[in-house]
Amino acid sequence: MSTRLLAVFLAASAAAFGADREFDRLVKAVESRFGVQRTHIPLMGVANFFVKVARPEGATGFKLAVFEDLRFDGDGAALDRIMADASEGLHPLVRVRSRRDHEWTYIYTGEAGKSAKMLIATFERNEATVIEVQLSIDALLRSLGDPARTGKMFAK
Amino acid sequence: MRIAIAFVAAMLTSAWAQEIKMPPAFDKLAAKAEESVDVTLDSNMLQLAGKFLSDKDADQAKAKKIISGLKGIYVRSFEFAKEGEYSAADVDAFRAQLQAPTWSRIVGVTSKHGENNEVYFRTSAGSQIGGVVIIAAEPKELTIVCLSGTISVDDLADLGGQFGIPEVVLPKSKAKGKEE
Repeated sequence: MSTRLLAVFLAASAAAFGADREFDRLVKAVESRFGVQRTHIPLMGVANFFVKVARPEGATGFKLAVFEDLRFDGDGAALDRIMADASEGLHPLVRVRSRRDHEWTYIYTGEAGKSAKMLIATFERNEATVIEVQLSIDALLRSLGDPARTGKMFAK
Repeated sequence: MRIAIAFVAAMLTSAWAQEIKMPPAFDKLAAKAEESVDVTLDSNMLQLAGKFLSDKDADQAKAKKIISGLKGIYVRSFEFAKEGEYSAADVDAFRAQLQAPTWSRIVGVTSKHGENNEVYFRTSAGSQIGGVVIIAAEPKELTIVCLSGTISVDDLADLGGQFGIPEVVLPKSKAKGKEE
């Protein structure tokens, strides 16, 4: 019995680890490329708890990393490479590049058990944000229904 | 055995060659554009969406049926600060892939204000379309939509406004026209 419980626990841990793999990989890549550390956000765990309870817009949980003092030079090709490497295993959905606002937004999606997950990264001149959201199926389908709008929504 | 491998390779090469590719010049356009949007719904993504669509809900079942025949939906959109940032040659490089008899230009609208819209269908058996390409070119905007896979004209009209595809006004198929 205990062996079965251990197996279930290990499987769950592996799934949870796998779900966060891309997020962690991307955070490390941004830290390495731009030589910055993610900003500590107080009470992030509390916010995540409320997201799990309230589930706004079909989100069932999220991870967030904010980077400040980035000094992003606008090298879109370099960003494309970073994103392609970090998002391995996910499907590219949207890429929005706005020279007007100096903003680059990438959205990748993937399966996470019975729900879906979305990895969103936005890069501005001095700031970057990486978000991983666990989504309900309705929310995923809404995003797929108008992916360009979803991309612009995160870009603004 | 070698002949079989060569045959399979030739078939695969042929199938690959028939896929529409976004020309490398589009990446340069993206660098020049004030804003560019790149939407990719490849076969894996469509399968993932299809897996979650319910057969019990009429709308979802219909969407599931439509996307089951699709291999991919790709949208590239560029918005430029001023006119003349992209050239006719940029569009021509893409349009060169849409050759008859595989592709047919179904709609071609040219306006004196420089707005040109074209719709191409890839010919297929029966009432199915083997692929769709939409080119919407305005002086400061360029949008390319590619649908890969099989779809009917009626389903294509229903896809307008979904998955990043603009609203497309197309004549309904004859069969449905009679029903109506």
